[in-house]
Amino acid sequence: MNVIETSGLGKRYRRTWGLRDCTLSIPAGHIVALVGPNGAGKTTLLHCSVGLATPTTGQVSVLGCLAAGSLDALERVAFVAQDAPLHSYLTVAAMLDLSRDLNRRFDRRHAEHRLRSLAIPLHPKVGKLSGGQHAQLALALALARHPDLLVLDEPLARLDPLARHDFLAHLMIAVAEDGLSVVFSSHVISELERVADYLVVLSAGRVQMAGAIDDLLARHRLLTGPAEQASRIGELFPVVQARPAGRSAELLVRAAEPAGPPGGWQASGVTLEELVLAYLRDPSVSVLPGPSALSAGTRHEVTR
Amino acid sequence: MTALTARATPAGRRHPVPWRPMARATWLQQRAALITLLAVSAALALAIVAGQLAIRALYARYVADGCVLPQSTDPNCGTVANTFAASTNAFTALVIALHVLPVLIGVFIGAPLISRELESGTFRFTWTQEIGRTRYVLTTVALLAVAVAAVTCVLGALLGWYAHPFDVVGDESRWQAGLFDTTAVTLPAWTLFALATGTLLGTLTGRIVTAMATTAATAGGFLVAAFWTLDRHLLSLGALTARASAADGVFAGPLNVPAGSGFGLAGSWLVRGWITGPGGRELSAAMADRVQSRMYAAMTRAGKKAADPAAWVSAHHYAQWVSYQPAGRFWYFQAIAAAALVALAVVFALTAVWLIRRRG
Repeated sequence: MNVIETSGLGKRYRRTWGLRDCTLSIPAGHIVALVGPNGAGKTTLLHCSVGLATPTTGQVSVLGCLAAGSLDALERVAFVAQDAPLHSYLTVAAMLDLSRDLNRRFDRRHAEHRLRSLAIPLHPKVGKLSGGQHAQLALALALARHPDLLVLDEPLARLDPLARHDFLAHLMIAVAEDGLSVVFSSHVISELERVADYLVVLSAGRVQMAGAIDDLLARHRLLTGPAEQASRIGELFPVVQARPAGRSAELLVRAAEPAGPPGGWQASGVTLEELVLAYLRDPSVSVLPGPSALSAGTRHEVTR
Repeated sequence: MTALTARATPAGRRHPVPWRPMARATWLQQRAALITLLAVSAALALAIVAGQLAIRALYARYVADGCVLPQSTDPNCGTVANTFAASTNAFTALVIALHVLPVLIGVFIGAPLISRELESGTFRFTWTQEIGRTRYVLTTVALLAVAVAAVTCVLGALLGWYAHPFDVVGDESRWQAGLFDTTAVTLPAWTLFALATGTLLGTLTGRIVTAMATTAATAGGFLVAAFWTLDRHLLSLGALTARASAADGVFAGPLNVPAGSGFGLAGSWLVRGWITGPGGRELSAAMADRVQSRMYAAMTRAGKKAADPAAWVSAHHYAQWVSYQPAGRFWYFQAIAAAALVALAVVFALTAVWLIRRRG
């Protein structure tokens, strides 16, 4: 089952396209990181998936074949929007009451237990909570709905490093306990690897890269060697990014298999951050699951 | 990529509207506004009861003296009626307050209802909960509508009870613009209209302050228009015409006949009065004034005992006419006004829901 599946999805805001021709399928059982620069269409894609935005073109479905935003979908999909907007004039306890009243499946004790373990009191107004507590409250409210899919838009954006660490730790525990799928967007690439196991890179409104993180990392190599031979390497491997470093050159290549590098060249693995940054620097390069990727699960194509 | 089939609700799946949880959710979110509304309404109700109790003894004397009987000539009745007239200030203030109340409900409950969610971004929370945005907005508006309509219906009924003695004595009329819009029927209708206007403008503007200002202007503007012209046009629809005799006590002009005063058109609403000349044609206002002056002069000459305006008028081949709404039509007109307002309110509210469904 795919937790989010889009086909030719596009969303236009007045004159500009927030998302364009986005075809994507995110399999269930992953923690999916959705990354991309500002304005890449991350929020638009997530809003389309939870029914907050209506697609201009194409389709989007969640959890198999439920129409995004339908009552059946809303019953099983929880969403925490960017900055986690909650009713700041309500107390934490009243916010729990409100969530209980708006969701049949809301598990109040689950939420209370979570807040107690985080030492978040129930009596203050939501507006008085710290940024970290606020984000944790929004997460607790979403998890207490026992969703099959949890969608988080920039959950880390306004958190300090400690709160960020705690938030991700709690998210991972919840996923381990409940076995739900998570899709979250983020600017913060450095911390993704610890949490996410599936990556979608959006750039300028299109999907640039999508796949399991281990798989993506295994299929890229950083080759270092003499600068004058760089063009020869380009004939052997698809080059994602070339970085001249004095007399030597650093090439991030898409190596189909870990074959030995040509003489005079050294191969090393790439980190997720290097990989993502390389792709983001050149939006014309993409690596997407090929036509048979869903069945084969391994074949990827690099297009330039 | 597998084929995408974005299906709607599978056959047989039902999502019943959770009224009770939604009532709690509405109370949680609107608590401050609703408590304020109840406090203001309680204060108004107390003022109405106090006002009614203050005129109670006076009215009892008026009734006991037989002043309500047809054509009472007891001079005492005139004195009581004058005392009554002196106590209309408090009454008028309350009538004005009840005109302002629906506008305030539109401004402080209707306008922020959606605009606050849009402005603060909490719609991203509420509209993605299991209830779904359409049902969430529809049930919230419906529940608030019932609450404010119930409160204002009680206030309208109380004001009618307070107004009754004034109506009988002839100082005020339930047909007149101020009272016509504040009965137990029209006051809730105006309130629903203002609430829906606020909800729609809040949805359109997405800004709390803008929504509140435009709601005050729109709902207030409608109310003022009703006060000055709309009510008058409504109440002239299908008016009956009758030839008036002087015994009816009506000569010309938009004067109301006191309810229960026993005259021919008791409790009815005089839409218009005019005079026709010997040829049967309606006299111009200037001509009518001249005829009236001649008649008064003739009456004065004839002396008090011999004065008979009716005889003078018919002797000179003039005729007085009135068009009026009979007393029995009062509640029909109330129903018409209320139905029009509620229909507008429903259209506004459904437009807001439609805009919210389309949003995004």
